[in-house]
Amino acid sequence: MEEAASQLERDHVHSVYDKIAPYFNDSRYKAWPKVRQFLLDLEAGSIVADIGCGNGKYLHINKEVFKLGCDVCRPLVDFAWSQGHEVQMCDGLHLPYRDGCFDAVLSIAVIHHLSTKERRIRAIKEMARTLRVGGRIMIYVWAMEQKRRKFEKQDIFVPWNPNPQSSSGFSREHAKPRRRATAQSVSEAIDNTDKHRKVRSTSSVADEEDLTCTTPQQRTQRLWFFSRSLDSVFDFGSLAISRSSSRDLSTLSSPTGENEGNKATHRGRGRGLIKQVSSFFSPPSVIGSEEDVFDSVTDLHKGQNGSGGSSSNNNNNTPNSNGTENQSASVSLTQECGSLALPDLVPFQKEHLKQSGDESDGGPPGKELQESTQSPQGSEGQVEGSCLRYYHVFREGELAELIENYVEELHVKQTYFDHANWCVVAEKVHSLCDRLIHI
Amino acid sequence: MKLLTHNMLTSHVKGVTKGYPLLIKATEVKVNEVEFNPQFVSRMIPKVEWSCLVQAAEQLGHRQDLPGELVPDYEKNEEFLKKVHRVLLEVEVIEGCLQCPESGREFPISRGIPNMLLNEDEV
Repeated sequence: MEEAASQLERDHVHSVYDKIAPYFNDSRYKAWPKVRQFLLDLEAGSIVADIGCGNGKYLHINKEVFKLGCDVCRPLVDFAWSQGHEVQMCDGLHLPYRDGCFDAVLSIAVIHHLSTKERRIRAIKEMARTLRVGGRIMIYVWAMEQKRRKFEKQDIFVPWNPNPQSSSGFSREHAKPRRRATAQSVSEAIDNTDKHRKVRSTSSVADEEDLTCTTPQQRTQRLWFFSRSLDSVFDFGSLAISRSSSRDLSTLSSPTGENEGNKATHRGRGRGLIKQVSSFFSPPSVIGSEEDVFDSVTDLHKGQNGSGGSSSNNNNNTPNSNGTENQSASVSLTQECGSLALPDLVPFQKEHLKQSGDESDGGPPGKELQESTQSPQGSEGQVEGSCLRYYHVFREGELAELIENYVEELHVKQTYFDHANWCVVAEKVHSLCDRLIHI
Repeated sequence: MKLLTHNMLTSHVKGVTKGYPLLIKATEVKVNEVEFNPQFVSRMIPKVEWSCLVQAAEQLGHRQDLPGELVPDYEKNEEFLKKVHRVLLEVEVIEGCLQCPESGREFPISRGIPNMLLNEDEV
């Protein structure tokens, strides 16, 4: 499970960011105002860590505090360094900082890239470890519930959209001198303009990344791919791998029936994710749990030829027959995976909805899916499987619950929704060591 | 990598209990000019492991006359604060490595950036 999780993150987070890092250094990556305020409110002489700092966009805020940042992405960290910031390469699950050395910690749009609940908890605990008692952490994660729409599932792959930016003065950011002291005024000026830009941004998924930046002229389709969470897919004990029914993009061109068809395609979404990880596990003798909806893997091969599939049979196959199929299929699946880039995950065409006037945003999933299945052909060419980023989007309350239930060292002080993110500010109330002694 | 940063860094190799402080082996060191803010430095001092700072400065050959122990009433001692400022914020390791005192594992520093990523077997 751990290996699958790491591999998924390597393929669909780390390597993607390595590729797209150059694009991050333009204007679309602005500081969220509330994050800025959190930093500005810190006492002079504080030490703050931005864990998952990316290109370092928060590291210039507040000259009175010492900031350091870290990230797994070398190109982004290099850029942050070039802007005069103290940065390191490291992994959020293994922070190289001593206990209790920070007055504050930021985790802005980071832990939603961790592919299991356990890893997300570990990341929070690691950050809590480095926080001093009384120190505060601010965590931002993508919300499942957006203002105008809701992701249907929590575990998704989002394609990267490298659309060029509308012109603005942000190229000045590149010219920021190495010395932070003199850079301050330049960056403040840029930030002010940033605020204005942010207000005009139209997408409800208005975070710093590509989904914000659609202009009406851009006809690029936005697609999200849904998948099953690694947590639901894998049985911790038996390492069973669940398989869902297979679907190909082309099979979606045939209109599906209302709920049943949608259910079938919903279940089809998990397969791509499974394909990614299936090579890491030997074919299991026991298949899945009652949650799993399996289908014969032969559907995949039919689907590949572009022939429209009828609704899949969603009943479980017997373990025996699946066992043999798994063995032969897992190799071919991973091969196909490479060439077709998760072809059978159901695309959810956001752009299509935008064009229909955003009215259907709050509408029932079934309706949206029907609309989206009508013209998937164009989308295939635009999807770059190698640039699909994995996200676990959070339900309302989920982040606070994680902390309340699993991270006793932290006490949630505030929770709120900000520009498509769920946000928590928590305070470290005791260290784990202290706790043990008292027991 | 500044020495203030180094002061926070520790080895986190699996099984290591005494991973702090990391030994610095520098092949390229730079000294930059950084705006002196006495209040800032004064507030940093209690957050810093003093002996680690002194040892690190020494390893880089930049200790100069930094005292082995904190002077009393340092908040108002501008001369002292300037020394601390220099060592904490102006001295920078550009190339080299950080070595875990217990395991010997070396974490490279290149282009000013320490790479603290662990391998699979160290995790």
